[in-house]
Amino acid sequence: MKKSDYLKEHKIDYVDYKDVDTLKKFLTPHSRIQSKKRSGISSKSQRAISLAIKRARFMGFLPYITR
Amino acid sequence: MSTTEDHKEAGVYELGYLVLPSVLADNIAQVVSTIVSTIEKAGGKTLDSESPFLEGLAYSMSKSVGARKYVVNEAYIGWMKFEAEPGMIEEIKLKVEKMEEILRVLLIKSPRETLFTFAQAEEARRAREETSALPVDAEVSPEVAPIEPVIE
Repeated sequence: MKKSDYLKEHKIDYVDYKDVDTLKKFLTPHSRIQSKKRSGISSKSQRAISLAIKRARFMGFLPYITR
Repeated sequence: MSTTEDHKEAGVYELGYLVLPSVLADNIAQVVSTIVSTIEKAGGKTLDSESPFLEGLAYSMSKSVGARKYVVNEAYIGWMKFEAEPGMIEEIKLKVEKMEEILRVLLIKSPRETLFTFAQAEEARRAREETSALPVDAEVSPEVAPIEPVIE
């Protein structure tokens, strides 16, 4: 079954690195970025999400790892 | 579908920064005005900003100023959106990075309109918490039809 595109559903067309609540939805319990297969979003959105997560990590809004 | 890539506009940038928590709250405005003057000196124009607020970080960061090393778990988080010549961006970034009070800087291309602010996010979070904190009695439970005893 195809997963729904979260960004499309919520009409998010710009992923901001400061929007931690949205970005957290695309992290695994170990704070790794979910695979495209798991997140179910388009390739373009997946690239935008991973870039925003990496920026948020650099700024200390999100952790790099969680044990 | 449009995403981050489509929203980049030539000449519009966003500067995210972290200020050391050792800076007194009264002096934060001074740090911000120094950043603004750095941008303006480079021919830039600020479009939007959010004043820094103290917030915990996801991991500890360190910064060395002279012989002192600061290891911090919280920082003042702030951002600023501005318009500038692409050639001046490197200079602005280097100048802000060199400021003693600044812990970390992120300079990225950004859309002109502000689509996210920490204040909006906080408001939305509070609204979500309020709705989830509603009493359980408020939920309407489906009525279960009484089972009639079977008489043989």
